[in-house]
Amino acid sequence: MLDLAFLAFIGFVLLLGLRRPYLWVLLYVYIDIIAPQRIGYSIITSIPVSFIAFGAAFGGWLLLDRKEGARISLRQVLMIALLVYCWWTTGNADFPVEAQTKWEWVWKALLFAIFLPFTLTTRLRLEGLALTMTLAIAMIVISTGLKTVLGGGGYENLKFFVTDNSGIYESSTLATVAIGLTPLIWWFTRFGTIFKRDWRVKLFAAALIFSCLLIPIGTEARTGLVCIAVLGVLLLRYVKQRILFVMAAGALGVVALPFLPQSYYDRMATLAQPGGDESASTRVAVWGWTLDYVAEKPFGGGFDAFRGNSFTYELPVSEEVGNTTSVEFRDVVDEGRAYHSAIFELLGEQGWPGLMIWLWLQGLGVWQMERVSRRWKDRTEENEAWIAPLAGALQIASVIYIVGAMFQGIGYQPVMLMIIGLQIGLYSYCNRFESTQRKIATAMRKSAGNMRNQENVVPDAVTA
Amino acid sequence: MIDYFALALGHGLLAIGLLRMVWRDSLDVDPAIFDLQQNERDRRKSVLAERKRRASAEAQEEGEC
Repeated sequence: MLDLAFLAFIGFVLLLGLRRPYLWVLLYVYIDIIAPQRIGYSIITSIPVSFIAFGAAFGGWLLLDRKEGARISLRQVLMIALLVYCWWTTGNADFPVEAQTKWEWVWKALLFAIFLPFTLTTRLRLEGLALTMTLAIAMIVISTGLKTVLGGGGYENLKFFVTDNSGIYESSTLATVAIGLTPLIWWFTRFGTIFKRDWRVKLFAAALIFSCLLIPIGTEARTGLVCIAVLGVLLLRYVKQRILFVMAAGALGVVALPFLPQSYYDRMATLAQPGGDESASTRVAVWGWTLDYVAEKPFGGGFDAFRGNSFTYELPVSEEVGNTTSVEFRDVVDEGRAYHSAIFELLGEQGWPGLMIWLWLQGLGVWQMERVSRRWKDRTEENEAWIAPLAGALQIASVIYIVGAMFQGIGYQPVMLMIIGLQIGLYSYCNRFESTQRKIATAMRKSAGNMRNQENVVPDAVTA
Repeated sequence: MIDYFALALGHGLLAIGLLRMVWRDSLDVDPAIFDLQQNERDRRKSVLAERKRRASAEAQEEGEC
């Protein structure tokens, strides 16, 4: 039944796309985020829905789209460079089989992110993409938020639609993405045009943001708590009454404390004592190993190069005997530990060149959104006022992702690559808008100059 | 049950959103940029018309002389 419902929805969007092929792009976005073929359990698992949607999206754009205003940008070139470089390192990987497995999804995510901006040529398309991403993630967030409120949370206990701990269905990744999207969700209440901006949209957005904030609590993902703190700091730039905002956030935190489970306190306490937690201790050890590794192999070891690591470190183990608690440091041997950081993931797998490209790609996004925010702020016309707030929301999403990515190996996260696609689309749209305005202004100046010249010539001729 | 609720709500809203986009021409042609370009085209047309009018007026004056 669930499979049939998914297939009916996919069929419905495929039909709608016959009139507007751009909707096939949104269909791929939806499938890539939600992964209905992994939620279902019968017929849908045997149908290549993702492939069909990508074929429709690309074919529809190539054959039927107007492509007006579509142009390649520097960030797309960077992604192409990263894609080619990843292909090369995959061919020379330390662990060829494992590297090939990761390559098979990374190239698709990168290719789609490169393609996506070509389709984003109008405001409604930008909004449509933002809405599709938001609602697709909302499905996971609403389910997770409700389970948290009803007491079904806990570290590695919370059940998502898909339980293989991959992609967006990994607790820390979901927490990072959900927190990063909160400003975008609120943007719809002020500038959305697909759904009328009334009390229903505001109520839904507020409830969804609350759900997003519950994700780090429900999943007990420490990175999520860090992301919330970063979000709070970033929002200080946009709120008018900063002191009131800080006080309200503090009060909300204090009010929420009694409702949090003890397991959440225990887990968050390890943030301040990383040495007492195996997960945190191994991160530091893996990062040290990666630096040593690239000192020998500066061009990286290909995907999953971390499988070659092995190290011993000391971990404090406390034992209670009667009223006495003794702490003993024991040697722990670990092998094949993952990077737990996108920075070190890129460094170990793609070496310094790959990391440089990735950092450039991310940094350029933050800078471009800052530029758009500044250039388009204080615009009051309906067709311009939406731009700066959208750029601000996408910039916050980027910064939160980068902060979250410092503690998770999510360097090629498809959702974040889509955010990059959205940023490129917005930046190109603004450039096109401004270039059209500039052309008109230049033409008007020229024609005004010509008119003046003609008016000056006529009296001279008369005088002569 | 919670999963079904979340999936139904999300898919329902997404279906409505996509359906609304289908009927809007602004999905394929951006009205703000189109208006700018249209105004520019209109302005060029009027400038050309003005030039033609002036040229014919001058030609007429020369003919009378």
